Amino acid sequence: MSPAPANAEVTAVDTTGRWPLLLLLVSAIKWLVLSGVLALIASIQLIQPSFLADCVVFTHGRTVALTETAFIYGWGANAGLAIALWVLGRLGGAPLRALNWAVVGTIFWNLSVLLGLVGIATGDATGVGLLQMPRYVQPVMLVAYGAIGVAGVLAWLGRRHECTFAAQWYAVAALFLFPWIFSAAQVTLFWLPVRGVLQAVAGGWFAQGAWTLWLAPLGLAGAYFVVPKVTGRTLPSYDFAPHAFWCLLVLGAVTGGRHLIGGPVPAWIASLAIVACSLLLFHYFVVFINLRGAFGAGGTALKLVAFGLGAYVLGGLVDAITAFRGVALVTQFTHVDTAQEQLALYGGFSMMIFGAIYYAVPRLTGQSWASAALVRGHAMLAMLGVTALVVSLTVAGWIQGHELLDAKVTFADIASHTRFWLLLAVAAQAVLLLGNLLLLVNFCWSACRACCPAEPADSVAFRQPAAMEAPAS
Amino acid sequence: MRNAPLFFLGLFVALTLSWAGTVLFADHQLGALAPYIDDSDPVNPSYPPQQPGIAARGQLVYADLGCASCHTQAVRRPDFGSDQARGWGDRQSVARDYIYQTRVQLGAERLGPDLTNLAGRKPSALDASNLMKLLYAGQGAMPAYKFLFDERAIVGEPADSRLMLVGRLAPAAGREIVPTERARSLVAFLLSLNNTFEYPEARPVAPEAPKKEEGKK
Repeated sequence: MSPAPANAEVTAVDTTGRWPLLLLLVSAIKWLVLSGVLALIASIQLIQPSFLADCVVFTHGRTVALTETAFIYGWGANAGLAIALWVLGRLGGAPLRALNWAVVGTIFWNLSVLLGLVGIATGDATGVGLLQMPRYVQPVMLVAYGAIGVAGVLAWLGRRHECTFAAQWYAVAALFLFPWIFSAAQVTLFWLPVRGVLQAVAGGWFAQGAWTLWLAPLGLAGAYFVVPKVTGRTLPSYDFAPHAFWCLLVLGAVTGGRHLIGGPVPAWIASLAIVACSLLLFHYFVVFINLRGAFGAGGTALKLVAFGLGAYVLGGLVDAITAFRGVALVTQFTHVDTAQEQLALYGGFSMMIFGAIYYAVPRLTGQSWASAALVRGHAMLAMLGVTALVVSLTVAGWIQGHELLDAKVTFADIASHTRFWLLLAVAAQAVLLLGNLLLLVNFCWSACRACCPAEPADSVAFRQPAAMEAPAS
Repeated sequence: MRNAPLFFLGLFVALTLSWAGTVLFADHQLGALAPYIDDSDPVNPSYPPQQPGIAARGQLVYADLGCASCHTQAVRRPDFGSDQARGWGDRQSVARDYIYQTRVQLGAERLGPDLTNLAGRKPSALDASNLMKLLYAGQGAMPAYKFLFDERAIVGEPADSRLMLVGRLAPAAGREIVPTERARSLVAFLLSLNNTFEYPEARPVAPEAPKKEEGKK
């Protein structure tokens, strides 16, 4: 055991940020579970179309929109912001300020996500991917996001050290850029809509930007913070990290055009995206080199980050491959697209964030996780679920893509040929949901224990740094 | 990254570059696309035709029900996919086809057929009563959308708009099934999807003579 002073692992950042950040995290995990339930319904509908079909709220298109919205704006935003604020506070070296703003922002953000979901369920969905929420909630979300982001910006501006770290760049970039892409997309799609297919171009730009300029940097902020902290080593080839950062920011949002290959838009949009996808490999390569220390010994937190890192890099590679026109011909409009999205959002982003949560929460509460078994259980189920989901959807999509190319194969045939793999995807969704329920239980349990002060003997033991790590599995 | 203003400026420039490069430049290129006007046709001189109001409303129903999660609305060129061989359209979709649409729904997945040219398919396109029945009863992987219809007792004469159903689906004696306003708008939108006219930009770039496999009935 490390001979470090008992309280070194819990700083003033953690004690002042405890309740605001735990509020963000509990909201996030609650939406994650809800989105898992909806995803399960949507995946069952793919093999059994009549499932809940008579219920207008759960018609397949709406279930898909609800799943995606709860996942991105419920889980992704809340959890990513919590981790970003915590990382900025920790690396800034001073307690977070303006946290009352963050609490108000969190409450309004989550109320507007709830209102947005109710809006989608009752017929106000916009039909634009990743931006399905009715336009009446979107301005509120923008303001709420700003209120949460204030704490992050203050932490960055008031930092104790002049020099900055990669985790800070990614966190600040995500905090700063989301309001811009969100408002630009709203204006061009809903308030002053552009004409015709330009809506598809603007929608594609936003969907890609939400991933590459917002969610991916949030996940990377967590990973760039956790990996050196847990391994206790400096990051290799760190000099390249700024290049990787700017590479992602400049090229990231341009890659969205690959979904429009062969579509009724100017061909240069797709060509630009294909080139950008290949150039972006530099970013993935550097991130992999920087964080390769994650693939080694370490607790569950590091294992999850390592899995997330692997999925993130693999996702970048797959993006570049499927962007080529010859491959896109098969994969376009199939389950492969969904698989790629899940690989990025679940395998990459969520896993890195899970890892960061397992690292951060013991420090925020000042105690270790309530149950080590639940931590291990969640990590195992999450890794198993994501792998099964991505593999099954990829195979299903590959079969679907080849059969779509043959005009003689009917949709009924395609459905029957992909049925087994879609069943496997249903099972994977169930596994993921179960895992996330374990996380919710464990999180609430841990937060409750932080409410009622633990026995004095306990707290000293728990504050040993080694005890703060999620248990090794 | 010591210089905070420079850092934020860099972020902003990176974002603006991607937005201006894709959205603004595409808008500059396509934002002013005009229809072709055929003065010899007094009824509907514009190509593509203007969307009737009920079809524009129907497109919002299409968006809200998430039809685009299974259906696309873009036919690709003949050498790229089997779109035309499947009879979804005789030519590729071009930007001009969409200029009047309120909420363009190109779609991302094909679990069902493409709908770009649903009302213009040859030899026989579906008509309103086919579409109503399809929505009410579902078919294959497409679920039934019964919530778009009302079942009610016949008072006086049966309604003109009632669905003519037979067999298992038929309502009990003295009752009828009529489409709601939303169903009517949706069907009006689906029937407005017709791209049977030619544009110069929609012709294949290099028409190679032997590539003639449109022998599909």
